[in-house]
Amino acid sequence: MKASCVSLLAVLGLLAGHTARAADVKIPIEKYKLRNGLRVILSRDSAVPVAAVYMIFDVGARAEEQGRTGFAHLFEHMMFEGSANAPKGIHSKYIKSNGGFDNGSTHPDYTDYFETLPANKLAVALWLESDRMRSLAINAENLTNQKEAVKQERRLSFDNRPYATAIVDKWPSLAFENWQSSHSLIGSFEDLNSASLEDVAKFFKTYYAPNNAALVIVGDIQIADAKKLVETYFADLPAQQQPKHPDLTEPEKRQVKSEVYKDALAQVPGVIVGYPGPKRRTPDYYAMGMIDVLLTGGESSRLQLDLVKGKQSVVQYEGNLGWPFEDVSDYRDPGIYGLFLLYKPNFKAEQIVAQVQEEIARIQKEGVDLKELERARTFLRSQRIGSLQSALTRAQLLGKYEILDGDPEMINTEMDNYLAVTPAQIQAAANKYMSASKRDMLEIQPAPPAPAASQPAKDTK
Amino acid sequence: MKTLEITALLLAQCVLGAQTIDRTKPPQTPAIPSYKLPPITESKLPNGLSVVMAEDTRFPLVTVRLAFQAGSKSDPANLPGLSDSLATLLTQGTKTRTSRQIAEELASIGGTLAGHSTADALILSGSSLAENTSKLFNLLSDVVLNANFPQDEVALQKQNRKQVLLAERSESAFLAREKMSELVFGSHPYAHIAPTLESLDRMDQKAFVNFRDAYLTPNRAYLIVIGKLPPRAELTKLIQDQFGSWTQKPTPAYSPAKPPESKRQMVLVDRPGSAQADIRVGMLSPTYKSPELFPLIVGSAILGGSADSRLFNDIREKRGYAYDAHTEFDRRQETGVFTSVTQVRNDVVEPAMQALFDDISEMSKEPVKADELTDTKNYLSGVFLIRLEPQSGLADQLVTVKIMGLPNNYLETYTTRIRSVEPDQIEAAAKKYMVPEKSSIVVVGDASKIQKALDKFGPVKVTKANP
Repeated sequence: MKASCVSLLAVLGLLAGHTARAADVKIPIEKYKLRNGLRVILSRDSAVPVAAVYMIFDVGARAEEQGRTGFAHLFEHMMFEGSANAPKGIHSKYIKSNGGFDNGSTHPDYTDYFETLPANKLAVALWLESDRMRSLAINAENLTNQKEAVKQERRLSFDNRPYATAIVDKWPSLAFENWQSSHSLIGSFEDLNSASLEDVAKFFKTYYAPNNAALVIVGDIQIADAKKLVETYFADLPAQQQPKHPDLTEPEKRQVKSEVYKDALAQVPGVIVGYPGPKRRTPDYYAMGMIDVLLTGGESSRLQLDLVKGKQSVVQYEGNLGWPFEDVSDYRDPGIYGLFLLYKPNFKAEQIVAQVQEEIARIQKEGVDLKELERARTFLRSQRIGSLQSALTRAQLLGKYEILDGDPEMINTEMDNYLAVTPAQIQAAANKYMSASKRDMLEIQPAPPAPAASQPAKDTK
Repeated sequence: MKTLEITALLLAQCVLGAQTIDRTKPPQTPAIPSYKLPPITESKLPNGLSVVMAEDTRFPLVTVRLAFQAGSKSDPANLPGLSDSLATLLTQGTKTRTSRQIAEELASIGGTLAGHSTADALILSGSSLAENTSKLFNLLSDVVLNANFPQDEVALQKQNRKQVLLAERSESAFLAREKMSELVFGSHPYAHIAPTLESLDRMDQKAFVNFRDAYLTPNRAYLIVIGKLPPRAELTKLIQDQFGSWTQKPTPAYSPAKPPESKRQMVLVDRPGSAQADIRVGMLSPTYKSPELFPLIVGSAILGGSADSRLFNDIREKRGYAYDAHTEFDRRQETGVFTSVTQVRNDVVEPAMQALFDDISEMSKEPVKADELTDTKNYLSGVFLIRLEPQSGLADQLVTVKIMGLPNNYLETYTTRIRSVEPDQIEAAAKKYMVPEKSSIVVVGDASKIQKALDKFGPVKVTKANP
């Protein structure tokens, strides 16, 4: 390997002065860029002889074009259909026969692929990942087959399940005005059927270029050896013209929406509320993160203590900035703070929404006392450390920080931003972003008459 | 993709240093490394509480499990779901702490503590920042020894569990699992996987206290502690202080009905409006202690344990009938269940069922191929290693070892035993446990659309999805 072909940006892991008070854990990071623009992040941890390989591409379902809903996800499936030297079936076969597992997933603003495997098998994963970036098998047979697999996935994960269709098809159309964000990210059968081989080839060339991706390797690796392997397998991939990001701007003045969705498969009523959130990585954004912990974090959260316990109205809830996706990294800008609540049938959706708004109003008026805030901080810090135990989670975090924020070092520093949020900032963010006048709402009504579970059932003893 | 290859070649000229490699062949790598588990020490308090400890200093965390031989199979016959509801209620109030106090104390130590039940065990799972280990133990012992099941918490738990049950019953996969358990376990207590609306109505404070007093005793319990631990003497004293006064009790009588002999039976759970059919084919199978255990683990993985298994390759990749096709080998103390699972669109139910049966039967017709056997052994060995990475992974494995009564070297010898499985052992196990003609078949779907297809496979009993 010649150093001249690698532009070393920074050896961030060696930076002194960052006592990671926040996470109590310091993740070593080495970041550099290949000449073809592929960003590479390496992090060594020799505790368990395992390595995680994480490829993340800067394209997601929000880059889809009209008439091609669901295409980013269909394309992700195509990435498992073989390449020049690893024909169909070989990718999974080799990962498996080398003692690992692999998968991929499509998100609003990125698409990722990973392998976790015994550390001394690293070369196998890099060979496979680079081969499909170099020479994906784009043919009619694979495309037809994967259209069916995706449609079947849609039936399994959405059409045949309560709530899921409302969440994936309906909710984005209320929460967003811009089509890039408001369309169904799993897509319609009609659009999936229309996808052509040309679409696949164009998408591949445009977005799956090394300069639109980052490669992260975390685990029991020798940095020098890993660099050599990365160079060997990835350095000769051709760079492409840098693709444009979709325009995701939302109108300044938006219409708040409220709708009812009749769900034939649901038996328990549910409601979704959402508030457009702040720009990523701003003080408001971190304040919203702390508001989320106060509202939904753990058994001592306000929704748990006040609604599930106190008012006994809500049965289950979930929420975060970026909901219905699992975390704040899923939407670049602008993300929605979404809450999904299942509630008892003797309440009405409007009552549940009013109760949630009341909790927010308390924060808007009174802020939060330091004791509760300190508890929320400790909860968050501990959750974060817990999640860092897995090499794959660390690799995912590093990759997402790189693609979305350009700074993987945030894995060590970002927690400080959350912990520094003051009660005044929390109060201000609640007032700025979470008033009722900015709130969208989707009520999910069970369509068949729900059995009266609140009534004492007949005793059959 | 000709153009891409040409550009790649041009660029390669600049990459002077890159090793020349033959991309047409997978790289040669050494064998999967062996991994030594952290030292695990075991002791017993005079009251019979088993304590298992392992040091893991990578992260400033501790993880605990307190597992009791008190799973849902110990539910009184008229109170299915009692053990699991009790597990939830343990953290909802003690003699000295309200549920709110418990929740707030936990958050303030960066902790979690929650109970749930499996078929064989009631398990409390907890964690905290390492600096708060003693506070975590204080809370753990309080909820185990002093839970008082406040009336209002019991009432709320029952109401909410009913709603959750309704939500569960609106999921096709849940209905399929529930019906399969009924069919394979018959009148054995393993048959129920959830409470009923009626059993929830019958649960009261007295039922919880009685169950707790009978089953949550130190001589039926295993305490597992992993993480960045205090010095050993300090930790031992902490455990003695928190759990030493707990008194042991005789084990309650348990004489379950025998599960019925496996036989072919087919039930269609009618779920109008289903967008697809959930198909499960299941049979009783060996326990952890059977010599057939490892042959069946490997055989199950070959048939449906990964994205390169026979079911996945046939039903999804070759035929395009399904998104998912896999096997499950659920091992319990007294017996196991081996199940093959897929979900297919309504118009291919008949050929999909046939393909599923053929793939299952194939396992006992001829020996598995050498390369699929080696691949699968490597896969199982590697994944086993990966699962031990977080503290919770090792903790859950140790719960299994203890609850199932496995030898202490089970985890250490797992990989060796996987590697020693021979094709004829898999074939023999398949002849007994992968037999569609003797299996229970459950299909959840819209009867008006799929019943005709099922009729071709023998008599079908149709039941309704909703209570």
